[in-house]
Amino acid sequence: MKRGMVVKANKGISTLTAMLGMISFLIIGLVVGHYMSAFMQGENGASYPQEFEEDVAWRTSGITISGSTTVLPIANACAIAFMNKYPHLDRLKITVQGGGTGVGYSQVIDGVVDIGMASREPKTTEIENARNKGVDLWLHPIALDAVIVVVHPSVANSSYPLSLTLQEVGKIFAGMYTYWDEVKPGLPHKEIEVFVREPGSGTRGTFEEYTMHPWKYNVTARAKVRGSNPDVKRSVENTLYSIGYVSFGFVSENMHVVAIAKEAGKPYVYPTISSIAKGEYPISRYLYLVTRGQPRSGTLSDRFIDFVRSREGQQIVEAHGFLKLPYFYYTP
Amino acid sequence: MAGKISEKVFFAILGVPTIICLAVFLWITSILLSGIGTLRLDLLTTSVLKGGFFEMIVGTAYLLLGATGVAGPIGVFAAIYLTEYARHGRLTRIIDQAINNLAGMPSIIIGLFGYTFFCRQLGLGISLAAGWLTLALMMLPIVIRGTEEAIKMVPNTFKEAALALGASKWETTKSITLPSAAPGIITSVLLGIARVAGETAAILFTACVLVTRGLPKSPFEPVMALAFNLFVKIVALGEPPEKVFGIALILFLLVISFAAVGIALRIYYRRKQPWLR
Amino acid sequence: MLLCALLSIIFLFLMLLFIAREGMQALLTFGMDFVTGHVWDTNLNLYGALPLIYGSLMVVAGALMVAVPLGVATAIFVEEVLPFSLRDLIKSLIELLASIPSVIYGFIGVLFLAPRVASIFGLSSGTVALTASLVLAVMTVPTIVSISGETIAAVPKEYKEAALALGATKWQTVKDVVIPTAKSGILASVMLGFGRAIGETVAVLMVAGNVAMIPTPPWNFLSPVYTLTAVIAMQMGEAAIGTLEYSALFGLGLILFIITLIVNSLADILVKRGVKRLGG
Repeated sequence: MKRGMVVKANKGISTLTAMLGMISFLIIGLVVGHYMSAFMQGENGASYPQEFEEDVAWRTSGITISGSTTVLPIANACAIAFMNKYPHLDRLKITVQGGGTGVGYSQVIDGVVDIGMASREPKTTEIENARNKGVDLWLHPIALDAVIVVVHPSVANSSYPLSLTLQEVGKIFAGMYTYWDEVKPGLPHKEIEVFVREPGSGTRGTFEEYTMHPWKYNVTARAKVRGSNPDVKRSVENTLYSIGYVSFGFVSENMHVVAIAKEAGKPYVYPTISSIAKGEYPISRYLYLVTRGQPRSGTLSDRFIDFVRSREGQQIVEAHGFLKLPYFYYTP
Repeated sequence: MAGKISEKVFFAILGVPTIICLAVFLWITSILLSGIGTLRLDLLTTSVLKGGFFEMIVGTAYLLLGATGVAGPIGVFAAIYLTEYARHGRLTRIIDQAINNLAGMPSIIIGLFGYTFFCRQLGLGISLAAGWLTLALMMLPIVIRGTEEAIKMVPNTFKEAALALGASKWETTKSITLPSAAPGIITSVLLGIARVAGETAAILFTACVLVTRGLPKSPFEPVMALAFNLFVKIVALGEPPEKVFGIALILFLLVISFAAVGIALRIYYRRKQPWLR
Repeated sequence: MLLCALLSIIFLFLMLLFIAREGMQALLTFGMDFVTGHVWDTNLNLYGALPLIYGSLMVVAGALMVAVPLGVATAIFVEEVLPFSLRDLIKSLIELLASIPSVIYGFIGVLFLAPRVASIFGLSSGTVALTASLVLAVMTVPTIVSISGETIAAVPKEYKEAALALGATKWQTVKDVVIPTAKSGILASVMLGFGRAIGETVAVLMVAGNVAMIPTPPWNFLSPVYTLTAVIAMQMGEAAIGTLEYSALFGLGLILFIITLIVNSLADILVKRGVKRLGG
């Protein structure tokens, strides 16, 4: 018994020492981490573009971007590409957070973030909020997106295509039809499975603005809510007799795209790059970066927005399944 | 004799659930390990900007070290107070209850609280520091419980001997009780780390961002972390499984190794306490 | 040191205070309808949490239906049947199961379990209450095993020896002596399992399907549900600070807080009672 104690006492690993150990571990961790990150960035710092060398502030500044989950992949990829363009400027820092369009607007208005991401134009309440706080919201279009109405191939396919008017789409999503053959004769007598996005989603906002709001329809309580474009895509692909809507980039071969007419008697338009860019396809929207006032020329915010709208940025936009801006917005 | 046989059969049937549990564990492990092919070692030290995981791994380490730095000392002192100093009564009962409730509190609630209190009320914003404090709240009960257990295992005779030699109560605690309990304390800290290393809900609104450059240079900057990025990549960005497999695997190995070491140490010291034999 | 010990009380209190403060607006606006309302819709600005509470309870009930028999049987097997040398190994492996992060459970659930559930039951999408329950069951089993295992191990040897001496078989001893004695501990483990399951967020969010509706019929485990925790995690980012939606999410937090507080306290009392009865 005594021996045990002596041994222990000699060992002398007091908890306090252990704690000191942990704290020094923390410090070492911080130092090593910094050293390594500096080292890594140093490696590829050899060649960098020499443009914009005249003013300095942006090179050491950091900005934060938050908002729409639709724009998130673009902003994420652009931020990475932009920072990779200047590997030597290790204080230039673009931070991207998620949130949602609502969060994007409110945080830009409150000055919590530098750039907001929005997949819809501000609502009147958001404009009022900005006005009350003396803020001008500047919307910078960065990409074009269309909301595509899609159905499972069990409903329609390329040999039996489906085309609907905006109001018919609205009625389906409002739950006014239970079976497909009530929508149009010839469709299967099967219950309609409706997939929608979660409330607050920009995609849902755009969709409802064109198909539900004009007739004051509300989404049926039977609709299944999905939290993201990929989720809706998966659900429609895997669910017989289902209908849903996704962003342009999420259309796949395993679903049938519905052609849409503005109203009965108008032509049914199939969403293509040109029909969307020309504004013929009715359910489309711009994606925006939002700033508090016009960003001062030469600041990091300004440069980043320019980058997203440059040829390189627009390639990223297309790579993520969105449409690049029509020429008049495009700054090559 | 018939009774004996039927009993054996019964116990064998009783063993089936145990086998199911182990099979599930093996299934999960094998699924994750099957992704090991997608993981290249150099990605561990490659920046996120170049498609690697470096900042996420170090960011996770920062979060864990900071949370340990907060919860460790507080937890140990709380446990010392509860076992060595407090008189057992109403107050200790309430504290006890509070610790249990804190241990059972869902992480999303702790995250919500962290967001309103640390980020907004204390003005820390979405930052490493807010993440530390939030995670520390989750670690605290584990550290307190583990330390209490370790201290209780130290035989009274040790302390009495020290006290008889004229040592004060604090001296006894400092130089006899704590050193003897140190392995147990470290074990409890390891288990605490394992508990929060994979935590997502608590840091969802408090500490993490999707992408930024480099590592935070002060505690008031946000970080990237493995668990958070895995979650956002699947749920919000909808990235295909093969792109996130690497993160899932690293996170799994990290957490499992902390837990395994913690659990193994605990068993070792429970068995090897020389004075318990 | 007293302060350190008091911190847990202080923070528990602060938690209640701050979550209640933020949730007040929603509670005042809707009153009891906040808990009993059937419609949770941000577009209509209507927040009735009943479908969410139901979703949470349903998923957890399903999980416990699987986890309790599995967990208790495992605990008995490990403590009473397995030889001592294997006991720690098996217990550790089960504890490791508990330490797997929930985001990884979600990852596996959505990629591997959900497709299987879908194909077995002929569903179009496998993200339904059943999948969530199964994932939760796996996550709850370790809690049940470790807590009920502890109480089973704490049953005094003398009790068992007395029974065996009276000619009872080992199984009779387990059934008539060990289980009744450890009953309150086992019940406590179920309570704690319930608490863990109802608070689980990320894994459930990824596999439950997220539809804020009570399924028809209400026991239909093959329909998607939305749980309290998942709504908070999903909508927190979308809600602008100070809006009714934001407040409603904290209201949900408050409901969850109170549920866990009650469940944990009950478990606590049960554990203490068990200990007292065993003269510990």
